[in-house]
Amino acid sequence: MSRREGSLEDPQADSSISPLPHLEAKIHQTHSLARLLTKYAEQLLQEYVQHQGDPFGLPGFSPPRLPVAGLSAPAPGHAGLPAAERLQLDAGALSLLPPLLDVVRRHQAELNPRALRLLRRLEDAARQARALGAAVEAVLAALGAETRGPRPEPAVAAAAAAATDAGVFPAKVLGLRVCGLYREWVSRTEGDLGQLVPGGPA
Amino acid sequence: MPAGRPGPAAQSARRPPPPLPLLLLCVLGAPRAGSGAHTAVISPQDPTLLIGSSLQATCSVHGDPPGTTAEGLYWTLNGRRLAPELSRVLNASTLALALANLNGSRQQSGDNLVCHARDGSILAGSCLYVGLPPEKPFNISCWSKNMKDLTCRWTPGAHGETFLHTNYSLKYKLRWYGQDNTCEEYHTVGPHSCHIPKDLALFTPYEIWVEATNRLGSARSDVLTLDILDVVTTDPPPDVHVSRVGGLEDQLSVRWVSPPALKDFLFQAKYQIRYRVEDSVDWKVVDDVSNQTSCRLAGLKPGTVYFVQVRCNPFGIYGSKKAGIWSEWSHPTAASTPRSERPGPGGGACEPRGGEPSSGPVRRELKQFLGWLKKHAYCSNLSFRLYDQWRAWMQKTHKTRNQDEGILPSGRRGTTRGPAR
Repeated sequence: MSRREGSLEDPQADSSISPLPHLEAKIHQTHSLARLLTKYAEQLLQEYVQHQGDPFGLPGFSPPRLPVAGLSAPAPGHAGLPAAERLQLDAGALSLLPPLLDVVRRHQAELNPRALRLLRRLEDAARQARALGAAVEAVLAALGAETRGPRPEPAVAAAAAAATDAGVFPAKVLGLRVCGLYREWVSRTEGDLGQLVPGGPA
Repeated sequence: MPAGRPGPAAQSARRPPPPLPLLLLCVLGAPRAGSGAHTAVISPQDPTLLIGSSLQATCSVHGDPPGTTAEGLYWTLNGRRLAPELSRVLNASTLALALANLNGSRQQSGDNLVCHARDGSILAGSCLYVGLPPEKPFNISCWSKNMKDLTCRWTPGAHGETFLHTNYSLKYKLRWYGQDNTCEEYHTVGPHSCHIPKDLALFTPYEIWVEATNRLGSARSDVLTLDILDVVTTDPPPDVHVSRVGGLEDQLSVRWVSPPALKDFLFQAKYQIRYRVEDSVDWKVVDDVSNQTSCRLAGLKPGTVYFVQVRCNPFGIYGSKKAGIWSEWSHPTAASTPRSERPGPGGGACEPRGGEPSSGPVRRELKQFLGWLKKHAYCSNLSFRLYDQWRAWMQKTHKTRNQDEGILPSGRRGTTRGPAR
């Protein structure tokens, strides 16, 4: 495949980028991974609310959606950013999620010790977030874009763990928030990679 | 409900990220400065209570501006709004709740008691744990597979329903010495079971018990004392083969191999065989098969498929006086008896009728007679084998005679066997 000229800085020119075949395959592969993990993230969220009891599973339940240890949901303006910056934000969020998911899993191991499938899904989610984050960083590197360095995990975990000391209900809410953020960022990553896949939406 | 606000992720997209602050999760804790938002604290936090007891709780609001009123606040429990008459305003910023005669918790992670602002937003939450202390576990039973391990099962007291997460711990120690050990592999053969895979002593008794613990207390079972050698079981006999006995239409021969895992140990194995007709659920059991590895089933229906299983009891191992524990049944093995050659009324396969030599009671009586003959008439060569040989010869003779006389197999009554009806 020939290389077409384009610029990563210009959002309008994103669709004109034609990566090398191996890069294209890598993007395709990472996009497929993100799509699969989006499904798993949805299942994790459903499983999580089941084990916390009502009102967690009820349609109107909406605790405050505040940042968790510096991690927020994707901003409304995210989709309008250049491709590289979107992927950088995706990679950054994905690197913050594993220690948070670990904290939630440890707490659920005390609250719901018999919920083996939930505990396994939380463990898998942490691992999968790391894998997807690494894959996105590899795509960024192949595109010649700057990648973020690793976040200080102990600080993130400590912040979240401290929150759970406030009681069981806040810990349940934290877990809901973390599972929700995981789903949102994996879904966002799928969308951002989808725009880079040849033939994908511009 | 307060709308979600964009986090700092978008704003930081075009500049290096700020150092990660040690922020606490601000879901239900300190209010956001200058936001005009309120939060609250519920007391008690995460209480544990007995079923049927009462709860007095408070929701104290603090926010910006100070002196926020408790008017308009309300409670929900597991998502359901509680009746207003259960609440009362204690002071300007505190709403109280009184619940009586509490039911057991709906989920093991605790019932969710939530304090809401007038607009429905969540101010604070607390999880209630309502249940019962555990009762004494009982009915502990244990078995050892080939003397290598020990698996135990028990029944939780009060049928296990404490409404709280209850932890069961199987403990064991050598009776005369040694420290308490705790089993680590749970739920191996059901929810209340544990498996000890190794490091077990023989010829010395163990004491085994179960401890149950939850937020409201603990309970301990009675102690079971046993020697591993008294509770040995083994694998089902391998290589079970079922075959016909020549042309005998009512018999099948069953052969098997003794379980190899215990072949080096002195023991007297007992075996049991069970068999059933293919389309039946009723098993017949042959009990008196001691220390043999073959058996002949008789009195069966001709032209019928049978399923056969064998199991083993390694009793008396190393001189143990106990009964031993039966293994699982072997995988079913199928075989069919030969189809009867004799014509019956209206044609088709004949079933053995009463009075025919192949029926059960007659065969038993014949066995007794042969035994008596051997004893009193000095007929040492008499045996069932001789009798079966005679029957096979009779069948062959009858078949040949029919062919010679041109007798058709259907619609004609047999003349050499007993009456068809």
